[in-house]
Amino acid sequence: MARLRRALAGALWYAREVLGENAYDHYLAHQRRDHPGGPVLSRREFECRRLDQLEVRPGQRCC
Amino acid sequence: MLMSATATTDTGRWTPRRVAIWAAVAVLGAVAWGILALARGESVNAVWLIVAALCSYAIAYRFYARFIATRVLGVDDSRATPAERLDNDVDFQPTDRRVLFGHHFAAIAGAGPLVGPVLAAQMGYLPGTMWIIFGVIFAGAVQDMVILFFSMRRDGKSLGQMARDEIGPLGGAAALVAVFAIMIILLAVLALVVVNALADSPWGTFSLAMTIPIALFMGFYLRVLRPGRVLETTAIGVGLLLAAIVLGGVIDHSSLAPAFTLSPKTLVICLVIYGFAASVLPVWMLLAPRDYLSTFMKVGTIGLLAVGIVFTLPVLQNEAVTKFASSGKGPVFAGPLFPFVFIIIACGALSGFHALIASGTTPKLIEKESQVRMVGYGAMLTESFVAVMAMIAASILDQGLYFAMNAPPGVVGATVQSASQAVTNLGFTITPDQLQAAAQQVQEQTLIARTGGAPTLAVGMSTIFSGAFGGDALKAFWYHFAIMFEALFILTTVDAGTRVGRFMLQDTIGNVWKPMARPSWRPGVYLTSAIVVGAWGYFLWVGVTDPLGGINQLFPLFGIANQLLAAVALTVATTILIKSGRVKWAWVTAVPLAWDAAVTLSASWYKIFSSDPLVGFFAQRDKYQQALDAGKVIPPAKSIDDVAQIVTNSTVDGVLSILFAALIIVVIADAARVWWQTLSGRREPVLAEAPAEESHLWAPSGLFPTAEDRARQAELRAEPVGAGRGRSDESGAGGDG
Repeated sequence: MARLRRALAGALWYAREVLGENAYDHYLAHQRRDHPGGPVLSRREFECRRLDQLEVRPGQRCC
Repeated sequence: MLMSATATTDTGRWTPRRVAIWAAVAVLGAVAWGILALARGESVNAVWLIVAALCSYAIAYRFYARFIATRVLGVDDSRATPAERLDNDVDFQPTDRRVLFGHHFAAIAGAGPLVGPVLAAQMGYLPGTMWIIFGVIFAGAVQDMVILFFSMRRDGKSLGQMARDEIGPLGGAAALVAVFAIMIILLAVLALVVVNALADSPWGTFSLAMTIPIALFMGFYLRVLRPGRVLETTAIGVGLLLAAIVLGGVIDHSSLAPAFTLSPKTLVICLVIYGFAASVLPVWMLLAPRDYLSTFMKVGTIGLLAVGIVFTLPVLQNEAVTKFASSGKGPVFAGPLFPFVFIIIACGALSGFHALIASGTTPKLIEKESQVRMVGYGAMLTESFVAVMAMIAASILDQGLYFAMNAPPGVVGATVQSASQAVTNLGFTITPDQLQAAAQQVQEQTLIARTGGAPTLAVGMSTIFSGAFGGDALKAFWYHFAIMFEALFILTTVDAGTRVGRFMLQDTIGNVWKPMARPSWRPGVYLTSAIVVGAWGYFLWVGVTDPLGGINQLFPLFGIANQLLAAVALTVATTILIKSGRVKWAWVTAVPLAWDAAVTLSASWYKIFSSDPLVGFFAQRDKYQQALDAGKVIPPAKSIDDVAQIVTNSTVDGVLSILFAALIIVVIADAARVWWQTLSGRREPVLAEAPAEESHLWAPSGLFPTAEDRARQAELRAEPVGAGRGRSDESGAGGDG
């Protein structure tokens, strides 16, 4: 039972990471570590910025 | 306290247990290969293909990939990767190896590994499977890993930049032209696959059309309603998508069906308009949500297919080697086994396009140098496995049905009677009733001449899926599910490719005329988008209207272009190995390069010089030009306009073949000059590698952490926060139990 829970938690963590749902958490950690005390974007601002960055850097997709 | 990361330590002691396990893998693999190779006349179970593939991959990954990483490349985990040194939380960012593997796999794998093997199945399952497996081990996965490594050592430089830096301006320019040319052909061929799959199919067309409003809704949801909630957005999207497939079945029987029954030509126009819109609209509206949907569907369906095959254990109907392998007169594509099987199957065995991804985002995200093996080599092995499954799906079909579906309309005609007759002439049997029944089972009007690979794969997948889940009742659903899933991620490739092509064009023109380089200058955006869409749209239109059949004309060109790019990548890699004093290891990339050059150049030779009008573009041109001069209509042309069109098409295709062959020769010759100068000591080699910096970050290198890795993780957790930046947050199990 504990193993199953762990596996499910792992799968959920993986899906969130791959799809980028955790990007904001990583950003917060990054800001705290490298620019402590600096201004921090809200989630909405951050996600909009992230989408707008895709504008000039579209991910290449292969065949 | 700074922790000095150690280089990859070899914990691999050869205990008797390990020796026994690897010996068992080797024996099992050898048995599977033996069964595949020696079976003649008796039916072979698909499970042997799976076993042969998996055992070969395991051995290659454990021994060959490890050898390349440690001995040839010299991965050094004490050296910081660009993700660590330049971490800016935007494009450079240390990313968990398993997550990066997922990203990289989603970027490299698409419709290519699904389509190529289906077409190559006309020569039997064995030649294609052998090339898929051995090609990936010795060429494809090597290319991906080596380019990923070299780009990582150069702060994530692109393939074009590396060609310019390491070979010279001429090689660099040739590489750039090659990249642009292959993108255009790739987009046209993939779009052609979609058109052939959706033509006159209201169910498929409706489901796919619905993905546009679904994506728009997801984009809005993600931007405005719930920013960043990707998981729930994707879950909603997938739910709506499945509903759209079910609804498509209802539409199919309703009075709305004619509205969604589109001819190939109408579909081309729709696709071109769609491609243009997707390229000029903001990314968040269409492209980004579509990408989530397509990634999810891709991984899910591939997983489902693997489970389905293992569950149903289908028997192969295809022969190991068919007569078309030696005669070279197969209807699906013309030309002999060598070189054409190696051209038709590009993705899954060796795909030059991957070098663009391995020198794009991935090298900027990788945490540790030693992870290039898992991400570069490992992801490509996975794609190869997808190709093997596609080969299985095509090979479990009745061969009469396979040829009725994949021969061009010029051969099989339009009715079940003509198709049945044509299949008999090819040496297989299928009755008109059987053809009718097969189409009815998946609720399509016809399955005749549904070229392009997607419908064949969909019939194969629906057979496997309905065998595993749901039975015959769900066959039509699974067929349209498979069509939808292929069309969905082909369109994602078309969206992204058009945009990338647009940026390349803006960049190039921007060198001469400044305003064009600004990504936000609207007239520039519209103009360059129109050029890119127009270029692939032209080839798509040609492919759809070609009286000789578009896929069999264009697919070899696509393969040649893709292998040409692989030649560029392997040349860059060989040059770097030679310049960095590793000439004794240069064979690792030089041998695949020699093979690839032989394949590509001999295929180009056939396409340019063959006197057989089925194979050589110029022989084809001459034949129809003579008919045109004499005012004669020769089949499969139906009118004098058709004849004129064939003349134009073969000329364009022939000129492209010459261009591709010339590019490959220029790149290799220019690089050979550099090799000679370096080896003869005439020129001191200058490498463009970024200087080394010590790494303060630690992470396991393989998929599963070793016992030593776990001890290290525990140690890092115990350390006070801020001491080093080891990623001790190996969160969750991530399947490592």
